[in-house]
Amino acid sequence: MVAMSVNLGGLVMKNPVTTASGTFAAGREYDDFYDVSTLGAVTTKGVSLNGWQGNASPRIAETPSGMLNSIGLQNPGVAALKEKDLAWLAGKDVPVIVNVSGHSFDEYMQVIEALDDDSRVHAYEINISCPNVDEGGMTFGTHAPSVETVVSRCRAATKKPMIVKLTPNVTDVTEIARAAEAAGADALSLINTLLGMAVDARTRRPQLSRVVGGLSGPCVKPVALRMVWECHKAVKVPLLGMGGICTGTDAVEFMLAGATAVAVGTANFMNPAAGRDVVKGIRAYCEEQGVQDVNELIGGLQC
Amino acid sequence: MALTNETGTILRNGQVGPNLYLLEVESPDIARRVEPGQFVHTKIPGMEGHILRRPFSVYAADPDAGTFGVLYQVVGFGSEHLTTLGTGERVENVGPVGHGWTLPEDAARVLIVGGGVGAAPVFMLAQQAVAAGKDVDVVLGARTKDALVCQARYEELGARQVLCATDDGTYGHAGFCTGVVDQLLAAREYDYAAVCGPEPLMKIVAAQTADAGLPCQVSLERRMACGVGACLSCVVDTVEGKKRACVDGPVFWREEVVW
Repeated sequence: MVAMSVNLGGLVMKNPVTTASGTFAAGREYDDFYDVSTLGAVTTKGVSLNGWQGNASPRIAETPSGMLNSIGLQNPGVAALKEKDLAWLAGKDVPVIVNVSGHSFDEYMQVIEALDDDSRVHAYEINISCPNVDEGGMTFGTHAPSVETVVSRCRAATKKPMIVKLTPNVTDVTEIARAAEAAGADALSLINTLLGMAVDARTRRPQLSRVVGGLSGPCVKPVALRMVWECHKAVKVPLLGMGGICTGTDAVEFMLAGATAVAVGTANFMNPAAGRDVVKGIRAYCEEQGVQDVNELIGGLQC
Repeated sequence: MALTNETGTILRNGQVGPNLYLLEVESPDIARRVEPGQFVHTKIPGMEGHILRRPFSVYAADPDAGTFGVLYQVVGFGSEHLTTLGTGERVENVGPVGHGWTLPEDAARVLIVGGGVGAAPVFMLAQQAVAAGKDVDVVLGARTKDALVCQARYEELGARQVLCATDDGTYGHAGFCTGVVDQLLAAREYDYAAVCGPEPLMKIVAAQTADAGLPCQVSLERRMACGVGACLSCVVDTVEGKKRACVDGPVFWREEVVW
């Protein structure tokens, strides 16, 4: 038996695997394929205070070994999250990480305030890295003083485990990581999508309505691994690694680079049971390698 | 209805018209449960760097034999690669996905319009309507005679009439199938219409049926990632805000859609 449990900044997960926000809704859409209680945690789609319409179509484009998205954080708001998604998740044996979005410093805090006395919320992931909105999102996450402001204000609003999600669209991710840690983050998640674009040569038009979007999938894995490894050396808080994880082996690579837990994102679109399969794959790796506790893998990279 | 991710076996995959291919898959669970207008979200093997599944409307299904068919047009890498797969190869399908056609029980006279490859997603609806004893008129449009690949199956079905139009005038009415729809709407009364095809065609038929006061459904297509309702890639603008083409659709009532 492999000990699979990890502690992500105060959030105890029965295994290191959660879902990347925005790829899994709140899990219900995947219930036909496997029991989400199999996961270490469910991370819900980003939620804002009163809901957003998101961006115009087309919202996605396939790119080599990946995809671009420009959904724009379409969501029905925090009240709908509580009424529908959290109610459904309450029937599952899995902790819930709510991804929190906002257009302003105040909105992030207001979302947390609306959720904080709800025992169905176990942790927050503060999304200061979405590349697809004009205000908030990545504009906060690329500027260390803004990161400190939003994270410290969220910190004041909750005692629950708070994960801050970082963008890779910066020169030095460790500068942002340190700012988030200093402002009170319990853990950091990375990476959000890489800003990119796709062009249709025949129509001479961008493939996305908003021209640019966020790149994800296996193509971003090397960048994500590098940034997890850099942050592992730079901060003490645990890391939630993500970026192109499709298999247990991918997940193990992130843990060796320094991640305590991992998130499965775009792979959910390729394989609707990807989350379950990654959990199985980590366990199989540990059994094969004689690893008794998955925590032994964290930062175990030999270099 | 529950979705499954079923690995099926290709029984047949071949060209049936200009740029048109027919795929038949043995996939008993999906074949048994698929309803008219639903689709499968297909993981095509050997796609290398192309990571996403591709949505395909189900053309026909044989629940006893455990098979379903897909009529597809080559439009890009995925559909082109699909043509290279042969009998015995395996494909993984999430399905049956979506809300299909809702043929009203009290509709006695039904008009079905299929443009191009859009003739396929309305075929099972025509089957259902004929089986329910309704008078069914079918209008099929294509660029040219050779592309009217569904005509024979519609004729075998026992529809009251199957009328065709070709853009180049090589068969039937010369011009778009909306011209035939105009004639039918002027001459007859219907209780329900369904249309599938290029979006400009559906928009015109939506306007024609609106003028005639006829309830009409359309089947919309969008770029899709998850195919299960989670990612919000495939949204359609409706009068009630954005809805997901995959699970809220792909079939919508004409008046729901912001055209």
